[in-house]
Amino acid sequence: MSKIIKRPGTRELMAQLAKESDGLSINERRDFLRKGMMALGGGAATMVAGTTMAQGTNLPPMEPSWGKMLGHGVVEFPYGQPSKYESHVVRRTVPWLTAESISSISMSPLQDLKGIITPNGLVFERYHAGVPQINPEEHRLMVHGLVDRPIIFTMDDLMRFPSVSQIKFIECPANGGMEWKGAQMEALQFTHGMLSCCEWTGVPLRTLLEEVGVQTEGKWILAEGADGAHMSRSIPLEKALDDTLVVYAQNGEMLRPEQGYPLRLINPGWEGNTSIKWLRRLEVGDKPWYHREETSKYTDLMEDGRARKFTFVQETNSVITSPCPENPIKNSGVIEIEGVAWSGRGKIKQVDVSFDGGISWTPAKLKGLVLSKALTRFSLVTKWDGQPWLLQARAIDETGYVQPTLKQLREIRGGNSIYHKNSIHTWKVAANGEVTNVQIS
Amino acid sequence: MFRSLKNTLLVSIVGATLFVSSSVYAGEKYSFGKTATSEEIAGWDIDIRPDGKGLPDGGGSVEDGEVLYEQLCATCHGLFGEGEARWPVLAGGVGTLTEERPTKTVGSYWPYASTLYDYIRRAMPFTAPRSLTNEQTYQLTAYVLYLNELVDEDFVLTHENLAQIEMPNKDGFFIDPRPDVKNIRCMKDCDDPSKMKIEGTLKGITPVGHFIEGADAPAASHEGQEDLEREKAHARKAALTGEEVQTEAAPEAVKMSDKAIAGEDTFDNACKVCHGSGIAGSPKLGDIEAWAPRVKQDLAVLVEHAIKGFSGASGIMPPKGGRVDLSDQQVEEAVYYMVESSK
Repeated sequence: MSKIIKRPGTRELMAQLAKESDGLSINERRDFLRKGMMALGGGAATMVAGTTMAQGTNLPPMEPSWGKMLGHGVVEFPYGQPSKYESHVVRRTVPWLTAESISSISMSPLQDLKGIITPNGLVFERYHAGVPQINPEEHRLMVHGLVDRPIIFTMDDLMRFPSVSQIKFIECPANGGMEWKGAQMEALQFTHGMLSCCEWTGVPLRTLLEEVGVQTEGKWILAEGADGAHMSRSIPLEKALDDTLVVYAQNGEMLRPEQGYPLRLINPGWEGNTSIKWLRRLEVGDKPWYHREETSKYTDLMEDGRARKFTFVQETNSVITSPCPENPIKNSGVIEIEGVAWSGRGKIKQVDVSFDGGISWTPAKLKGLVLSKALTRFSLVTKWDGQPWLLQARAIDETGYVQPTLKQLREIRGGNSIYHKNSIHTWKVAANGEVTNVQIS
Repeated sequence: MFRSLKNTLLVSIVGATLFVSSSVYAGEKYSFGKTATSEEIAGWDIDIRPDGKGLPDGGGSVEDGEVLYEQLCATCHGLFGEGEARWPVLAGGVGTLTEERPTKTVGSYWPYASTLYDYIRRAMPFTAPRSLTNEQTYQLTAYVLYLNELVDEDFVLTHENLAQIEMPNKDGFFIDPRPDVKNIRCMKDCDDPSKMKIEGTLKGITPVGHFIEGADAPAASHEGQEDLEREKAHARKAALTGEEVQTEAAPEAVKMSDKAIAGEDTFDNACKVCHGSGIAGSPKLGDIEAWAPRVKQDLAVLVEHAIKGFSGASGIMPPKGGRVDLSDQQVEEAVYYMVESSK
């Protein structure tokens, strides 16, 4: 072994190993080579650790250390993980928001994401009784109530139906809810991170309803989860027949347990809570059920003490993701202002950017895919030379709805409604490039 | 369940014509899946509606509810429904909905009593959902209504009188009127800069440690926050007394008994919900300091408390943590596991 490590070049070592293994049986030789390679890798790693201590040795004109050694082979990690240098790109929560982590929420790191798709491991989490570990072979979807033929589907049954794949955002209606009474959160992840966007694959709920035959009195559907909370929401039949999906996959693979494995509902454009995870039951009825999550929670309290119910739609919203508190401006000169916009009513038509807190606005460009009820990325290339900015984005959707100011929202709804705060957000950019969350009134 | 059974009968009598015409639309059928039996549906059809649809036959009294509530619910919701820590407040708050900090409770906010039965039945107690009998669910519903002064102490709630209970805020809800705000796409001179007021954030309440080095901020997870708070407490103590505090059990030093090893599974799927994070005043697994006074006493006493329930200074241990489905032996093993992991 020591002889091996003393040798300088990888190729020579490989040759040496091959030579030494001559005369061994095929299996013995394979084993010998494998062990030799491992020793080689270990030796190289030790060397790297030593040399990276010196500054700049991986920079031109030097050959970087990783170009002078071998990396790991195929299937070393049967399910690949991000680079160890990306370990900061994770979901986070604000611990004082909830009593503990089992009935709680985490936020996606919007500040680090590109494009419009949220990677599966970074989709925000919302649990009411933790994540159940469901065996798909024992999972059933029961569809019953005011139907001609109540049916129990297995996962195999559901996957036999012709499938659809659609890119849709999912957002908790409490996204931004901490900011109703004033700026609170000092980071984008916590002001807007209860938001993700995936390609969902499954069956239109309409197909399943046609299969059971909804009776004429049927007007509402109760969707229920198989988790310990047995999360339940009433959904109007009209929505169910329009675009609700019963999905089993996200971004090309089966749903993550955190996202409802093996089956969940997706109500595109509607508050995330209605997209019941771990879906086990759909009951057709003639009236809504008024369960806890549509009375005690997810109702919007107005100033007069009355509350709005069935506030389903996530209205047009947008936020600048770069710069933001986590991504301060590091250099003066050309800068791309980037962000995401979304609307629960359809496609994003236009996003404008303001540098002066909403006094004047400049149209931004939409880039990449512009899809209905999906995140849409916008961009504006400009110059920054240390001037203070009050940076805002304002989205307009295809229905003509213009994202409101916080002042406009508060005038009508007061400060206690918790949910559905979709107002224009302001980042204050200081002369040193630092970005902070402020509110303009 | 009865309705669908009736429909099936109708279909078989009247024939296929009714079957097709009763559908809202006639799509192509795939005929996947199996027809659900009324027995299968009855087992899962747990929902209750404001008109009482779905309520099982039976009832329960406020009096019986009090005993059960104190065993199963008070740990988190408080003896009077006042809510411990950040757990939901169940009672009080009437008249606060227009205040700056409204208290939304069953009595002050919920429009229907049926929601209470439905929610307790589907999700409570938090540590052992779907473990209550229908009768116990009536008892607890009755008691929470009593805590809200909506029924008297001698009240017996039944499937016949639940839908008749009028909640104070039953008329407090109206259908979503959005879009309610009309902004316009102004491009120039949209606001008066002299009247603009700019307000920043409150510092120190956002987890920002991942991008601001050395920030005095909360952690970005519940576990991280608990560790942070414990570290701070120990640092304060060390500064005062000059003594170092041993905080976590060194895992390699723990050699467990067979009984303790057997208890790990029970801990994971039953006890961890509270003892994994130390919620509701429960001693956290591995927290030597929290376990020290408990470990000092006879282990048999600790086991008995875990099985029969116990009211201590820091909180209430419900019998078997609410998981009455566990055997005494399973609870004993789990206690051994926790004790041996925490000394």
